[in-house]
Amino acid sequence: MSIMSYNGGSVVAMVGKNCVAIASDLRLGSQALTVATDFQKIFPVTDRIFLGLPGLATDVLTLKERFRFRVNMYTIKEEREIEPETFAHLVSSTLYERRFGPYFVEPVIAGLGKDNKPFIAATDLIGCLTLPKDFAVSGTASDKMFGVAEGLWEPDLEPEDLFETISQTLMNAVDRDAYSGWGAIVHVITPDKVITRTLKSRMD
Amino acid sequence: MSRSYDRALTVFSPDGHLFQVEYALEAVRKGTCAVGVRGKDVVVLGVEKKSVLQLQDPRTVRKVAMLDDHICLAFAGLTADGRVLIDKARIECQSHRLTVEDPVSVEYITRHIAGIQQRYTQSGGVRPFGISTLIVGFDPQDSKPRLYQTEPSGIYSAWKANAIGRSSKTVREFLEKNHKDDMGRDETIKLTIKSLLEVVQTGAKNIDISVMEGYNKVTNLDLSQIEALVAEIEREKEQDAERKRSRLAATAASEAAMSAGASAP
Amino acid sequence: MECSFGLVGKGYTLIASDTNSARSIVKMKNDEDKIKVLTPHLCMAYSGEAGDTVQFAEYVERNLRLHQIRHYTELRPPSSAAWIRRVLADSLRSRKPYQVNLLLGGYDTSDDTPHLYWIDYLGTMAKVPFAAHGYGAYFALSTLDRYHDPTADLEQGLETLKRCIEEVQKRLIVGLPKWNVKIIDQDGVRELEI
Repeated sequence: MSIMSYNGGSVVAMVGKNCVAIASDLRLGSQALTVATDFQKIFPVTDRIFLGLPGLATDVLTLKERFRFRVNMYTIKEEREIEPETFAHLVSSTLYERRFGPYFVEPVIAGLGKDNKPFIAATDLIGCLTLPKDFAVSGTASDKMFGVAEGLWEPDLEPEDLFETISQTLMNAVDRDAYSGWGAIVHVITPDKVITRTLKSRMD
Repeated sequence: MSRSYDRALTVFSPDGHLFQVEYALEAVRKGTCAVGVRGKDVVVLGVEKKSVLQLQDPRTVRKVAMLDDHICLAFAGLTADGRVLIDKARIECQSHRLTVEDPVSVEYITRHIAGIQQRYTQSGGVRPFGISTLIVGFDPQDSKPRLYQTEPSGIYSAWKANAIGRSSKTVREFLEKNHKDDMGRDETIKLTIKSLLEVVQTGAKNIDISVMEGYNKVTNLDLSQIEALVAEIEREKEQDAERKRSRLAATAASEAAMSAGASAP
Repeated sequence: MECSFGLVGKGYTLIASDTNSARSIVKMKNDEDKIKVLTPHLCMAYSGEAGDTVQFAEYVERNLRLHQIRHYTELRPPSSAAWIRRVLADSLRSRKPYQVNLLLGGYDTSDDTPHLYWIDYLGTMAKVPFAAHGYGAYFALSTLDRYHDPTADLEQGLETLKRCIEEVQKRLIVGLPKWNVKIIDQDGVRELEI
């Protein structure tokens, strides 16, 4: 049994036309036993950047706090909001600090940069960055999500279509994964607002 | 000559003085006065508090601190140093409970605090604490009130009643004259206020009184209560003075009468 | 084979724990109180490695008391939970981690809400309406799924709790005859007879 799938959970992010979306399930488990069904794995970093942290739940909570601290320090010292690219490198270096005793989390980052340029990124548990053009998946249902996303995603989706695509991708993947599920939450980041919706999926 | 012995390090001067420690005692003498008085089953701490500035929140200016459920501490000297020492003492109180389950005894925490103060006179790169403390409280499973004093040098001692800080000598002499064993609650409080009034000219509004009567029984008197007691003390003083005056007048009158009688032809 | 439950009702939190103290296959004691009262409105059921449990509970108790003395106010349940979680999370990556699972029940007097936190030895924390630790969790969680009502009064809440205990006593191969139940509400922590 891998540490990475001890608590379960999945996150996916997708690029659209002048918008990005990030979504996760809401399950917290202790192996096969479901402990909570409202466990947030996606956290706002700024008004335009979200961070998804699937993996070992204790590290999800610890890292959430650490990133909040480091982003606040950045904002105060630099007197400006952090850019998605910068934040991705902050995530990467924070994880690599623990190269030989890692946090068991594989983050996904989604945000809008300057000129509303969509940005998504994912790293492995020691902070190796990948910057996909289309979508990023992570968590216990990541292999299933790869398949569904590959079939559903297309370039230049408008916010509402992107919402539909990411929701279908996540829900159809987590329904085939015993460690993810119990509802989902989706954030679509557009230049003038963030649309957040919670979804009911198969509640078993 | 003495220049090289009063710098950063606490080093002996040739005639056996630690100047830094003596300067610390000077800081204590400049600090506001604090009094501790032991009664039969009560112990009272009285402190002179600086006038609170008009826009200041008086609740945030504290000179008496609770260390644990059964121990309080008052200090005179540098307030900033006091805060640090109080925090160390509070940690020790909880740590002691954690390791041996029992709460600390008053003597134990006094010795601990004095130990810290001593350490800061004998290690490099530090200066002594500029405070003296009065520590009051009750030992576990015991109803006898305790009162201890510590000094910047690390000396500690037990007392029936004592004062530290500005004009502490005057107050101590007053206490020596007026302290009785086994005083009741009201009597002890009154003696504390009386002794403070020797040096606090401004009266009730610059006095804080904390009364300890056992575990978890700490009460701070509010201004109106202190005012009432101060008024009572003033009244007694007035009556005393009145009696003295009339006695003097009577003697003077009788003397005058006598001398008048003598001079009569 | 230790077991503990917790549930939130209307204006109260209930926490129950078995009272066995066992070493290997031997029962050493059957009236052990495994719910520590941390502050007037907070208590914690603990289970796990013998030795670690009491040591950790007392460590938490003393630190929360120190906070209270330093700041003239008690820490609210969410902050207490976050601090306790952090201690466990830090401990997990130390040479000898605490192996303690916790249920933290509290009542926030500043906004009159009951709280229940599920925390495991890894430092995983979840704010939940009901929770369980130990083998009993496998039976109790399904019972609670069916019967728990966050708006239930105390009588109904206790009824649900009793159902859980009965279920465990019926189906778990190990007998857990005695239970310790504590309630946390606006009046503080009290022990309840069950």
